[in-house]
Amino acid sequence: MTHRVVVTGLGAVTPVGAGREEVWSHLLAGRSGFAPVESFDTSRYSVHLGAEVRGFDPAPWVRKLDSSRLGRASQLAVAAARMALEDAGIDPGETDPDRAGVAMGTTSGEPREVERFDDRFLAGETGSIGAEFITLYPCHMIAAHVARELGLAGVCTMIPTACAAGNYAIAHGLDLLRQGRADLMLAGGADSFSRITWSGFHRLGAIAPERCQPFDKNRKGMIPGEGAAILVLEPLERARARGVRIYAEVAGYGLSCDAHHMTAAHPEGDGAARAMAGALADAGLRPEDVSYISAHGTGTPTNDRLETLAVLRVFGEAAPRTPMSSVKSMIGHTMGAASAIEALVCSLAVATGMIPPTMNMEEPDGDLDYVPNQARRYDVRVAMNNAYAFGGNNASVIFRRVEA
Amino acid sequence: MRRVVVTGAGALAPVADSPAALHTALCEGRSALKPIELFPLDGLGHRQAGEVRPFEPRDYLGDRNLRPVDRTARLLLVATQQALQESGWTAEMRAAREVGLVLGTMFCSVRTIAEFDRRAVQLGPSYASPLDFANSVINAAAGQAAIWHDLRGINTTMAGGEAAGLLALAYATDLIRQGRAGALLACGAEELCFESFLGHDRAGRLGRRPVPFDAQRDGFALAEGAAALMLEDAGEAAARGAHVLGTVRGHGQAFDPALGEDEGSFAAAVARAVRLALEDAGAEAGDLDLLVVSANGSVVGDRAEARGVAQALGQHAAQIPVAAPKAQLGEALGASGALQALTALGIFGEGVVPGVTGLDATEDGFPLGGVSAETRRLDRRPRLALVHAAGTDGQCCAVVMEAA
Repeated sequence: MTHRVVVTGLGAVTPVGAGREEVWSHLLAGRSGFAPVESFDTSRYSVHLGAEVRGFDPAPWVRKLDSSRLGRASQLAVAAARMALEDAGIDPGETDPDRAGVAMGTTSGEPREVERFDDRFLAGETGSIGAEFITLYPCHMIAAHVARELGLAGVCTMIPTACAAGNYAIAHGLDLLRQGRADLMLAGGADSFSRITWSGFHRLGAIAPERCQPFDKNRKGMIPGEGAAILVLEPLERARARGVRIYAEVAGYGLSCDAHHMTAAHPEGDGAARAMAGALADAGLRPEDVSYISAHGTGTPTNDRLETLAVLRVFGEAAPRTPMSSVKSMIGHTMGAASAIEALVCSLAVATGMIPPTMNMEEPDGDLDYVPNQARRYDVRVAMNNAYAFGGNNASVIFRRVEA
Repeated sequence: MRRVVVTGAGALAPVADSPAALHTALCEGRSALKPIELFPLDGLGHRQAGEVRPFEPRDYLGDRNLRPVDRTARLLLVATQQALQESGWTAEMRAAREVGLVLGTMFCSVRTIAEFDRRAVQLGPSYASPLDFANSVINAAAGQAAIWHDLRGINTTMAGGEAAGLLALAYATDLIRQGRAGALLACGAEELCFESFLGHDRAGRLGRRPVPFDAQRDGFALAEGAAALMLEDAGEAAARGAHVLGTVRGHGQAFDPALGEDEGSFAAAVARAVRLALEDAGAEAGDLDLLVVSANGSVVGDRAEARGVAQALGQHAAQIPVAAPKAQLGEALGASGALQALTALGIFGEGVVPGVTGLDATEDGFPLGGVSAETRRLDRRPRLALVHAAGTDGQCCAVVMEAA
């Protein structure tokens, strides 16, 4: 038998705040997370605004592990995981550890460890490179640190499918729970602000100088960010037995690959459309059943044009009346965390009947309803979360209201 | 539930450039370890590793432009090409039907990432290479293979240290079982590079006597390679008349929340993964007639694996023949699990089990009776193998494979 799987806990650390309540209220209020980059010196670059997590103190969250010996993405992930478990009313010490697991996504793992390695190498100080390059850097350590901190001994998976990784991890968590391979999964994504990411998108001319304007005619690019988000996933019957609040059901997912270009999306949005169609089929839904689309919506000229095209292909006549917004207009592109944070957005849109806006919208570039500049009260029964990545990796996940 | 069969295989390892050559090399006890030529060794204590050498990609891949493709992806392209060819999935068939790819890797290419960063730091942001940036994501090799072979199905990258290749096989198996895919390449790939080698050296993980289960072992030897298995739904494979190399019967996963540092806790995780795999396969310990293990010469890891496997198999642990292919191949990180799966398929062929090259004596009380330094021919060909991989940081994965 396959289990229905629901979201019962939400945790996040983002450029506009931490924790479900703060993140949600700030996203609905259109708060901006952009500020001059502090993580490293940007004076040699032509752009300087980033979406960093400011004032983050890992101490309240990282209790078993020594936070000074964790990479930043691991710190953010552990904090989000603790928040999510608390939100779900779960004491990790009272959970069967063998039946509880972690599935995380990331773009870069702990890129600051590579940067530290490189700085020492370039300074001729290779001798000072220590064990941490192997004990902290490899991306699977993010999931491992979450499991270590919480004492979880079931499946522990890291899926580094770049900017769609959060959705891949949630999809994997869904499959594990559906098949009965676990009773509880912490699924999400994490990434830290990184010089490497910055250099790359800067070289591609993809970073906006002042603000991120997804789906606007004058959009100038994305703004790199950082963060983490984790969803507590469990079977519906278990959540009901615990008598806890259910935000949404994870109704299905679709994955595809463009097989076209490493960094540019398919010119007709082929892979994106197949991921959306696959998610609908998996959930047993039609396009007109979808009330809200959380767009990948990076704010780059190409992504947003092709995403609109792909939505039109899949949704047809239903497309213009289906609200679609991008919270990247507020928190930037948090890389491997992005679709996990947006999964939190979808869960809360379903649970609260509110849709966060696409900020900085002046002239829409397309005929869809991009929810410009103002949050909207809306009866969200079904929310689709889209994410696209380098490597042509596409992932759509669908969240659905659970009737009492 | 659908049954998953293997219809093609590919391998590129230091001692062999095909699955058949791999089996021969393992049985002849040929060691992959040689002095390193890929990078200078200034200040490094260990000087031997398993390089794929000589490696002229054009000899395998023809005249297509390889410039955008880094070493990890090139290794993967060769292995996947072999698997596609053997399975009979022609370019025409792939154009008509979606084939996917699941890759296990630890770093993808930390060399590409680090070189990209160093160039931007040293010469300035405008010198950052867009080509290298595209390959700096950890899903780059999987994306490149998708483009190269036109693989538009699900494309997922799994991390998980030395267990990544087997985790990818398990993940791909579940996608087919659930009907999410009809045909998937399950792969592992990892390149040997300066950054990884220096890091492993500093972390104290490399040994001068990297012999699995040997009482005098003191760490592993780093290596590289790639392997691929074409997985298909058994019904679809039969309908197109595909030759079947073996069946993936089931799998199980567990994590050691002590991060592989505590032998008892680590062994318990190994035992859980093995029990879950047997249960998933509908098999008993007594049904197994082959073990393929991930022991690589690491002091704690090898002992934990032997103890854990023995705990799960009980009295049968004393009889079942054991192959430990890292004795010859070294530790190829993310590629290892897939190479182990190919090792099992190779032994199924004629019932010849490669010896643990270099094994002098095991420790007192060593619980696996089927370990031998000598290659031997079994009285009858084995039918059911347990392939197990433990990552140094605590990821454990077991897969049950059946001979065709």
